Amino acid sequence: MNPIEEAAWASDVEKCVQCGKCTAGCPSGRQSRLRTRALVQMAYQGYDVTDLKELWDCTTCYNCAERCPKGVNTVDAIIKLRNLAVRRGNFPKVHLNAIENLYNTGNGFPLSPEVAKIRSIIGLNKEPYDVSTDEEELSKVKKLMDITGFLKLVRGAGK
Amino acid sequence: MRFSLFPGCIAKNMYASIEKSTRFVFDRLGIELLDHRYTCCPAPGVFRGYDIDTWLTLGARNLAEAERDHVDVLTICNGCYGSLFGSNHILQEDPEKREEINEILKEVGKQYNGTIQVVHFADVLSQLHERILEQKMYDLGLRLAVHYGCHYLRPSHHHESMNVENPRIVEDIIELVGCEPVEFKNRLSCCGAGGGVWSGDEQVALDVLEEKLTFMSEGEPDAILNICPFCHLQFDQGQKKLQKFQIPVLHLNQVLGLAFGERPKKLAIHTHLVTTREIERKVKKLKKK
Repeated sequence: MNPIEEAAWASDVEKCVQCGKCTAGCPSGRQSRLRTRALVQMAYQGYDVTDLKELWDCTTCYNCAERCPKGVNTVDAIIKLRNLAVRRGNFPKVHLNAIENLYNTGNGFPLSPEVAKIRSIIGLNKEPYDVSTDEEELSKVKKLMDITGFLKLVRGAGK
Repeated sequence: MRFSLFPGCIAKNMYASIEKSTRFVFDRLGIELLDHRYTCCPAPGVFRGYDIDTWLTLGARNLAEAERDHVDVLTICNGCYGSLFGSNHILQEDPEKREEINEILKEVGKQYNGTIQVVHFADVLSQLHERILEQKMYDLGLRLAVHYGCHYLRPSHHHESMNVENPRIVEDIIELVGCEPVEFKNRLSCCGAGGGVWSGDEQVALDVLEEKLTFMSEGEPDAILNICPFCHLQFDQGQKKLQKFQIPVLHLNQVLGLAFGERPKKLAIHTHLVTTREIERKVKKLKKK
């Protein structure tokens, strides 16, 4: 079994009866090429779906998983397939920004000078109490991400 | 009653007005909020999609911070709720995974024990109807299009006691302060921002949003009411990007803050992109209860 089939099996895709309720209830699929039923079926049958752009069009709203009459964890399957896609260098490069922010500040969305000013005007701490202003704690967070290999994963993927 | 406030990246770093109203409202309700040195939850769409183990590790680290003070985590964002409730659930149920993540945490002198709960602020407010009525200074009289947001309702095993197919919990709260929920088609649908789509495929995110806004606008609401800063951001920024619609966007804690008598400027709702001038005007005219 290849890793793509494994990801499908781990999410119970073998129970799928191809009724299509997942695709029918998908808000993103009405606007994009995402077809949840076809995507997880292809993975289950061993096709390489990790280079499909629509893998990244799922908003993880869970309509599909909630409506599946057989209890297939479609969203979990898509997340696992994304993890595999990342390891092959296939992901929207625009996300690198949020990933670098997470590593460097502990936050996906860092504080801007404009919002810092608003914060102090409305009576909040100018800088929020979090890891971003605590060097020791931030270095621990970076170490955790170094151990899981997060930055190396996205920077070195596919090379 | 006390909690550790998990403000989340967006409420603290982009829409500080939401953090402000949260602190104001919970103080009025007599609930103590503690602060801890948190990171991003981390976001369930982008970061879990990249590496499930990194997502779990940072989630466990956040939970371990609150565990040291034996205090439950209060989230004011559906994304934070989805991530932290989800990682707490996985790590509580799966001893092998917990051990694996704790091996990593040990390297920085931390440990996750699974001893606390993660709660969503709307669920806490739903237990405090009487206190809300005690603090109410105004019946706001606003017609609100309530947006629940996906990660509050789904996966439904995150909310076993709730009717996730037809929830009323938020409507019940806004009615306490004299607001009226407007009806609209597909009321529980997605805002389009989650799963990394907001930044990863902006056109799809906006197309999903436009459909939602079309249905909402048919109810002619005074404002869109949300319980999630990321949905809030999508509605507020998205209307500007679409150059269509101009419906003010309010987080539930901002509505409660206004009803409790705080001045709109002090809650900083005017810092939203879609103008809130009409809301401010209406609030100014209200007579105290």
